[in-house]
Amino acid sequence: MRIQMLVYSAGLALCFLGTTAARSEDGWAKVIPPPSVDTISAAKLAKVQPGTSTKTEVQALLGAPWRILQFNDCGMSMPGQADESWDYRGRNAKGTYRVHIEFDDSDVARLVAKIPDRAAGTKGTRAKTAPPDMKVAMKM
Amino acid sequence: MFHIHVPRLAKGFGCSFFLVLGIASQAPAQGPAAAYPPYGSAIPVITNTEHRSGAVGEDTQKMPPPNGPNEESIWNMKVEGFNDNQARPIYQPLIVNQNGREIMYNGNLSGTAMNPLTGVSESNGTSIIDVTNVKRPKFLFHIPGPDPINGSFAAAGAQMVRVCPGSSMPNAAANGIAGKFFLLRAFGNAGANESHQIWDVTEPSAPKFLTTIISGLSNTHKSWWECDTGIAYLVAGSKSDGWQQSGSTQHVYIYDLSNPAKPQFIRQFGLPGQQPTASVATQQPCLNAPSDTCFEGTTNPPGGVHGPISMGTVVNRVYMPYGVGSSGVIQIDDRMKLINGCKATGPGSNPNASPNCQNSPTQADLLWPQVSWVTMNPENGGHSSMPVFNVPIPEAQSNFGDGTPESKSLLFVSSEGTANNCFGQAPHDAWILDIANEQTPWPMATLNVPQFPGNFCGKGARFGAHAVTEQIYPPYYGKIISVSWFNAGVRIWDIRDPKNPKPLAYFIQAPTSNTAASCSTINGVTNCFNATMNDYVEYDDRGFIYAADRAGTGVTILSLTGEARNAILPQSEQ
Repeated sequence: MRIQMLVYSAGLALCFLGTTAARSEDGWAKVIPPPSVDTISAAKLAKVQPGTSTKTEVQALLGAPWRILQFNDCGMSMPGQADESWDYRGRNAKGTYRVHIEFDDSDVARLVAKIPDRAAGTKGTRAKTAPPDMKVAMKM
Repeated sequence: MFHIHVPRLAKGFGCSFFLVLGIASQAPAQGPAAAYPPYGSAIPVITNTEHRSGAVGEDTQKMPPPNGPNEESIWNMKVEGFNDNQARPIYQPLIVNQNGREIMYNGNLSGTAMNPLTGVSESNGTSIIDVTNVKRPKFLFHIPGPDPINGSFAAAGAQMVRVCPGSSMPNAAANGIAGKFFLLRAFGNAGANESHQIWDVTEPSAPKFLTTIISGLSNTHKSWWECDTGIAYLVAGSKSDGWQQSGSTQHVYIYDLSNPAKPQFIRQFGLPGQQPTASVATQQPCLNAPSDTCFEGTTNPPGGVHGPISMGTVVNRVYMPYGVGSSGVIQIDDRMKLINGCKATGPGSNPNASPNCQNSPTQADLLWPQVSWVTMNPENGGHSSMPVFNVPIPEAQSNFGDGTPESKSLLFVSSEGTANNCFGQAPHDAWILDIANEQTPWPMATLNVPQFPGNFCGKGARFGAHAVTEQIYPPYYGKIISVSWFNAGVRIWDIRDPKNPKPLAYFIQAPTSNTAASCSTINGVTNCFNATMNDYVEYDDRGFIYAADRAGTGVTILSLTGEARNAILPQSEQ
């Protein structure tokens, strides 16, 4: 019983410390409580292939996305930007992350990236993209 | 509806300073913003609060550098509140005083996200949030946007919102709309049912669909609705009517929505060279080859209109930016001639209007209301064109001319940065044009945010200007101007000396777990970044400032502090 109490107390303290650190160190303070995240199978994610995987195939592998975005406006396709992107949430030992998949106008994945939620900076997170010859075929 | 026909404002708006002074005192007292466009037609009077030497010589380099890309950065502003907008990416926020309640309407970009109020994943549409208590905004309702088409979301969604009180409309009692509030929104960008819609939002937590104004459109975009006349300038393209544009394919549909349930079509309008009968294959620039079929600007056919801004019945002008992010043209139009230019009689009418003027005008029909146009550098387009009238020029309060204090009417123009990490685009800025003489708009100053400090081209997402604030809040009017600058956040300048605008405040929202990734491919390598993108910055009628994020991070409510607060105070209180 005492061990259980200790574990609970330690857990609570860690949560509190984590929150405090986030509030004092950067602008993440206004983040609403982290949403629930799913476990994303690395093996399934590896099967999502830029240049070949379709929306149907991605959904069959990973399920419905947490959020879909379409950033274009004005009827213009912004150069180098996705027609539609799907976001999934995940968690691993390093923290929470998002899987970001962009589709071309043929509904084929053109980019897959696994981006830690706290990865902001000037280096970015390397994304997996279709080979150059396929990009041409996809009218990028 | 009252019409005061101002003979011509071409005499530098000098006389209109006194005119608006009188009109402002006649303004209906329905609320702090009710008198001014789009709710009314009065224009606030601006008094000079700047030293006679203006901002010349003041240290404009003291702006502090932003924090790291993971962090919030703020200068001369204070965060008052926040709402996550259900992680939906916001295009345009609008804050409306509804009988004492402050209601925020967010037009969202396309996509889908979970609505916790319904437990259902809904297509991004219009978010309705009660921000009366800015410390505790309450999400009231989400009106879903267009469904996906064949499994894909088209661009645009329901990006645009305008709200008018029925009581301010002509014939409100007869039409049974007194006491009600109505929302005008764009709906879709592709598919069969794209349209402009009107909703009854009298009770913002239970909006009711009222009517579709027009459907069968393409590329709906940013509209304007005069709440005191009902005249609406709807932006969209059409699949079938033959209008011609390059890039963003929109022109203007003008309607009388004074009885929102019964929209009355007035006419379609665009830039010369965009009309259905334009000879696109052979037409030459109007600038050096004027003819009956030429095009204005630098691209053939001209780029589409982004969002008209009407200054109402008193000023009698409509400002139209074309091109969005490239090959821009800024057009100033006579409002009455625009609305009535296809009629044969009445104010603004054109006795020589062509038989098809309403839907397929000739070039002469399009030129009838045009006061002037400015061709921009092709690297930049017309995204916003917001006028501010009669801004005192500090150095010209004495000694010049006959000694009368000089004021200038200004047009704030912005282009839209469209590339992630700046790659593949020129810098996109905002500018102040002197429109004292409307026929010859002339550049006065540039509003620029440098990429350093902050390394804005390296932090991901778009960097560059986007939109100029459109809401008129009198204490800010002619004193400060706000421009959304994507990953460089909200940017505010002191414009009390408009020849020498001075950076005054900024706010850059920190990325969160809701922030959508922005990816770019540079030299064959693709990287993704977490960076917020301030899409629009707007005011409410209490002076709170709303920074809406295009990357799904929500909306932050701000107030001015320090030197920024001083800039809006009378000189004696600074």
